[in-house]
Amino acid sequence: MTTEHHEAGAHEGLGPRQYVTIFAILTIVTAVELALSYSHIGAVLIPLLLVLSAFKFVVVVAYFMHLRFEPRILNRLFAGGFALASLVLLALISLFWNDLTHPLG
Amino acid sequence: MAAEAHAAPVHHPTSTGTDNRKLLMWLFLASECLFFGTLISAFLVFKARMAVPPFPHKREITESLYSTLPEKIQEQCATQLANGLRECHGILDIPITSTSTFVLLGSSLAMVLAVYGAQHGRPGMMKAWILITALLGLTFLGFQVYEFRTFGSEGLNLATNQFGASFFVLTGFHGTHVGVGVVYLLSLLAASFRRNGLGPEAGFHVETAGLYWHFVDIVWIVIFTVIYLIPS
Repeated sequence: MTTEHHEAGAHEGLGPRQYVTIFAILTIVTAVELALSYSHIGAVLIPLLLVLSAFKFVVVVAYFMHLRFEPRILNRLFAGGFALASLVLLALISLFWNDLTHPLG
Repeated sequence: MAAEAHAAPVHHPTSTGTDNRKLLMWLFLASECLFFGTLISAFLVFKARMAVPPFPHKREITESLYSTLPEKIQEQCATQLANGLRECHGILDIPITSTSTFVLLGSSLAMVLAVYGAQHGRPGMMKAWILITALLGLTFLGFQVYEFRTFGSEGLNLATNQFGASFFVLTGFHGTHVGVGVVYLLSLLAASFRRNGLGPEAGFHVETAGLYWHFVDIVWIVIFTVIYLIPS
């Protein structure tokens, strides 16, 4: 009975080798981000860094946190919270945008 | 019969089709997105409006402002430029923080391997990787303590300026979350040495801890980019 019981996550087929591969990818992307931060590529630096960070974020959530293999309700729950947080960020930036030219102490 | 019933985990049917405890953890993580989202937002707003050193990255100030600064902070703005301005060096140590970032990333790999061990009935693998995850987490915290102490010695603290306030609150809360995660993992590890270990739901318990740990890692992914990599 207990040997037949499969734990959640055991069906996805991701093994240690795949996890190490994913980790290697994340490490390489982090190294690329670092290299970019020292480069002088102008205005494209910030969007590039944000895209690379977003990629790492999605990979960790999808594969390390297994969200890709979880029921849709969990996807919606987390995505909802993240979307709300992003909206708060945009709202705060918008609220204070006009004040950005007036430095504070 | 009774032993079999005790060994097999009971899965109550739920209207969502998923375990309520897992649902609760994901709900908690969704709320944590909001928590850290507001702290990161506050940091970004203040980052754009900083006028008084210490600064996160290299920046110029006027001579008149320089003359009002405490001596410890004046040392950071010793370089006088040809245009009459003073150049203040950034206080952030990217190489050190990059190392700690790789450490935390490594801890995520260790955690996912611990979950794999727990879910595939390999308690030795599970215990080893939980311990490694906790140790890497402690190493990361060590880097944070070093950074906080270094900044303190250079004159940056919670009350120094907007950067100091928002930086220490954001990274301080993140560090606290890492600390809680380390305690969580060590508690799991201790429980795994009981006679029945973590029980028939070992995989579930370790997976739930893994969700929390990976979340702490992805928050740092955002913090590292926003605070350290993106220039002011």
